[in-house]
Order: sequence, then C-alpha cells, then structure tokens
Amino acid sequence: MDLPAGTRNYSYAQDMAIFRTKTHWILLGVLILLLFAMPAYWHDWLSVVNRIGITIIAVMGLNILTGYCGQLSIGHAGFIAVGAYTSAILVQRFGVPFPVALICAGLFAGVVGMLFGVPSLRVKGFYLAISTIAAQFIIIWVIQHWTSVTGGFSGMDVKAASIGPMVFRSQASQYYLILIITIISVYFAKNLSRTRVGRAFIAVRDNDLAAEVMGISLFRYKLTAFFIGCFFAGVAGSLLAHTSLSISADYFPLTDSILFIGMIIIGGMGTILGPILGVIFIRLIDVLVTELSPALQNAFPNLPSGFTSGIAPLLFGLAIILFIIFEPRGLAHRWQLFKASYRLWPFSY
Amino acid sequence: MTELLQFIITGLALGIVYALIALGFVVVWKSSGVANLALGQLVLISAWFTYSMLAQAQLPVWLGLPLVIIFALFLGWVIERIILRPLIAQPILSLITVTLGLGYFLQGLVGIIWPMSLAAMPPLFPKTPVRIGTAVVSQEYLWAAIISLVLFGLLTLYFRYNRMGIAMRAAADDQKAVQACGIPVTRIFSRSWMFACVLAAVGGVLISSIGNITVGLTHTGLQAFSVVILGGLDSLPGAIIAGPIIGLSETIGAGYLTPLTWPGIREVIPFIIIIIVMFARPYGLFGEERIERI
Repeated sequence: MDLPAGTRNYSYAQDMAIFRTKTHWILLGVLILLLFAMPAYWHDWLSVVNRIGITIIAVMGLNILTGYCGQLSIGHAGFIAVGAYTSAILVQRFGVPFPVALICAGLFAGVVGMLFGVPSLRVKGFYLAISTIAAQFIIIWVIQHWTSVTGGFSGMDVKAASIGPMVFRSQASQYYLILIITIISVYFAKNLSRTRVGRAFIAVRDNDLAAEVMGISLFRYKLTAFFIGCFFAGVAGSLLAHTSLSISADYFPLTDSILFIGMIIIGGMGTILGPILGVIFIRLIDVLVTELSPALQNAFPNLPSGFTSGIAPLLFGLAIILFIIFEPRGLAHRWQLFKASYRLWPFSY
Repeated sequence: MTELLQFIITGLALGIVYALIALGFVVVWKSSGVANLALGQLVLISAWFTYSMLAQAQLPVWLGLPLVIIFALFLGWVIERIILRPLIAQPILSLITVTLGLGYFLQGLVGIIWPMSLAAMPPLFPKTPVRIGTAVVSQEYLWAAIISLVLFGLLTLYFRYNRMGIAMRAAADDQKAVQACGIPVTRIFSRSWMFACVLAAVGGVLISSIGNITVGLTHTGLQAFSVVILGGLDSLPGAIIAGPIIGLSETIGAGYLTPLTWPGIREVIPFIIIIIVMFARPYGLFGEERIERI
C-alpha cells in the first residue's frame, strides 16, 4: 500500500529507500525548496515557525522515548530546561562556542534523563509517569534556587547563536539554523527507528518481558531510549535559549511536558510523521486562540475578564481526549488512510 | 520544642487530608486500573465551585456544601461515562494520558469560569486559634483532620458492610469473576469515580480553607500521588498511613531544612520522597508486588 501500483523492489537498497520513486524525489525537492524559501513569502510567521521547529526537535525525542520505547515521560520540559541552561552557562560563563555548547547541552540533558530513567528498569506506567513528574519539579527547583549558577528566578540573558563569524540574530537566520537542525533530527529519528536499536525499542514497548526473554537487554535499551530522547530535548533547549536570548525557569512548566505528550498522541505515537503533525496542530491552535482572544473578549462582555486564558488549555485537553477515544493512532494514521484512498481512487480497493 | 509540636500537628492534619484525596485515587485504581492524573485539577475545580456557591451565590453553608457534593458526584459520573467508558481495556498508556488531557481540560475550564488567580474561601470554621500544649494551631487544621478521619471511618464501613462496597472490593480482586456473578462492573467503575471526585472535593474545600484558592491547589494532587506511591498503589491502609508521613516530612522538612538548603524545599520534598521510594521500594510500603507473566 505504500508504493504506487506497478512499482516493485528488486534490491535491498530499493526496499529500504525512504524516497523510492521519482515522484517522491520531486515532492521532496519541492518541499525542501518551499521550506528554504519560507522567509521570502511568510516572513510574518517566522517566529511561530521557529517555535514549531524547536518543539518538533524536542517532541521527536519524546516520541523515541514514549512512542517507540513505551516509557512515558512527563518531565520533558525539565530536560529541555537542563539543555537550555547547560548551553547558556557554557556560552555565557565559559565562552564555549555555540556548536560545542549545543552538543554538550544534548549530552548533559541525556545524562540527566538517564539518571531519572533508572526507575524505569523496575517500574512502568503510572510509577514512571510520576517519577518523571518528580524529575521535572526537582530540576526546575534546582534551577530556580541555584542562583549563583543559573541566575535564579530572574533567569539569565543569553547571547545569540553563532557559528564562527556568523551570528544568528534575525528571525530569518534563526529560521535556517533551526530548520537544518530539525531536518537532521527528523532524519536521524527516521533512521534510528529502523535500525537494530529502533526495533529493540519497539519490542520493549510492546512487551518488555517478552523482549528481555528474547535477549534484548532492558537495562541497555531503556536507558539508551532515555538518553536519546533527552539528548533531543537538550538540543531543543539549547536552540531555544540562543534564539529567545533570555531564559528563566518559567519557560519550562509542567503543563508543557503534558502538552508534549498530547502532541505525540494527536500526531500519532511511534511514527515519524506524527510528532510533526501533532506539534503543528497544537501550535496552530495556540496561535489561533491568541489571535482571536481580544475579539472573543469583546464578543462576550458578560464573561469575567481574562476568561480567554482558559480557552487554549481547554481546547488542548479536549483534543487529547477526543483523539485518544476516537483516533488513538493520530493524524499520521489519517494521513496514511488518505494516501491509500488517493492512490486507489476511484476504486475502493 | 514548641516549634516542633506545631510542625507535627499541622503536618499530621495536612497529611490526613492528602491521604483523603489519595484514597480517591486508590479506589479508582483498584476498581478499574485507571491512574487518575487529573486529581489535582479535580481538587481545584471543586474548590472553585465551592467558592462560587458560598461567596458568589451567597448560599448558606448547609445548602452550599451539599450542592458541592452533588456537583462532585455528577462530575465523577460524567467523567466515567463519557471519557473512561469507551476506553475500557485499552493500554495503560492511553488510560494515563487521557486523564492528563482531562486535567488540562478542567484547568482550562477553571480558567474560563474563574479567571481570577486568587480567592479566599469563605470561613467555614471558627477563626480563633487553639492551644495544644505549647503550640498554637489555627482551628482549620483540626477540623480538616477530624472531617477526614470521619470520612475514613464512613468509607471503611461502606466497604465492609454495604452491598455495593463489597462488590467494589470484589471487583478490585477479580473483575471477570465479579462479572460472572452478575455484578455490573461498569456501575462499579462509575461509583469509584464518583467517590474519587467527592473525596477530591472535600479535600479541596479543607485545603483551600487552610490556605487560599489558587492554581497551586493542583499541587495537592501531586502530593496525593506521592502518598499513593509511598503507601502502595493498591492499598487503602497504605494511603492512610503514608499521608501523615508525607505531611509530617513536608512541614518538619520545610521547618528544619530550609536554612540548610534553599527556600521552597517544601514543594519538592514529596518528589524527593517519590524518587527515593522508586529506587528503594518501588511498590510502596504496603503495595502488592506484581509478578508479571508474558
């Protein structure tokens, strides 16, 4: 169903190709062209697009951890905070160049994630959810109070990202930086999901006991999943810090961690397309509500002032609930169905 | 010494209220296997509802509080019927995340209906502080502890003598056997959610009459989670014993650790306890260790 009628694979390389036919390659080319030309035609939206890009990187990590490996983490915003602060501190206080700080942020967030992932070896489900919430609170508490290093409640100013002489200060230049790193992350995640490690993750997700009996080391793969998932979070945090130019602990609330889970659910867990769709879906609702709220406030003068602040969470919660009940496989599955019916049209099978 | 006595009394009283809220979690978990992560938001919405009844609609207490209970029963029934019923026998990941979505939804609802960030609960208990030994404690703490203990007693009696209570205990033990006996399991699920909401509502009223009504009430739900983790997810006595332990460690820890570490340690103590329990004894003090089979 994935290939157009009449296309057959004659070699292993063809079988494994992500982009198989000429049409695929042409569509990919068009997509990349459109993405790289975006600052030319969509300049006003770049700040939203940049936020979407950073969130996609973070949620791609959560998808590896939760969607592929089945380890629920409700502390992802905390791990992003670890990455953001690591990178900011390295650049501000030690003068480390940004690309090195980016990698270090990922590595440190990964190690912290692994530490809080250790309980996953003995517990799962609800217990793991709570211990990752605990991780989130402990991380944020440390950031808020370790004033000498993190600047405490007032946060810290961060230099703009720079590679050598290039400084990413304008929205458009930041857009290219984020776009390239997002593409690399998505490509990495896609390939990871079909290697030995990715298949081991899926086996652990589907039944970890059975996986262990088959010879998959739970210790190794669960912690690897935590490391990779939080590595992505760290990279996203570093990008966030160096593009928003100031960070404080308020940027990383628990509600964001829950929202990330919501994004992979709405998009479709355990797919590569899913998180991208989920992030775009949620962020667009967010933008829409922000744009509409003054109008809504005027339209309903009887409701208490400030009521619009509750609309976005209400819609997010509703979306999560409705997707779990009616379309647990998310938007990615809908897209698959659409593609299949498009290929077969006008026949039903 | 006076200080310590004060910490112990307030800690115990708070802990008992946490235990009460945690009990709602345990009842749902035992009967239907759903981990209710929206506990804090249930506490929040019922506290605000109480505020609406007593302060905004100016109802007398004898009419307002029963209305709160009815609201909580209704809320529990609706949640179970609309959200959880279609998800029976779904994977645990869906059951956890759907309650996260529910929590988000409820928080949004609170934001729409009660957008103010802070309100004081109308006084339900006499204001004069009482002296216990050398400590001076405000009466809300004592009343909170007494009401919670009475509710514990009522619940114990219900589970021991009421037909439905016995059926609920049986369902926690073996759902299939219960269904084979002709007991409607869905009604048990519904009942357990109604219990959870009522306990959360009572807890919310008690906690917010000690402090204020803020978004911070959702934190109470998290404290209740640390209670169930420490006590063991499927153990009612565990929750009742772990509650005061969490409450005590919070007040005593906040009192004596703050000079040694950073301020705000009080809020993270439950989470540090969670992490320690996870490493040392993941199934809690009284929880049953699950032996899994493939």
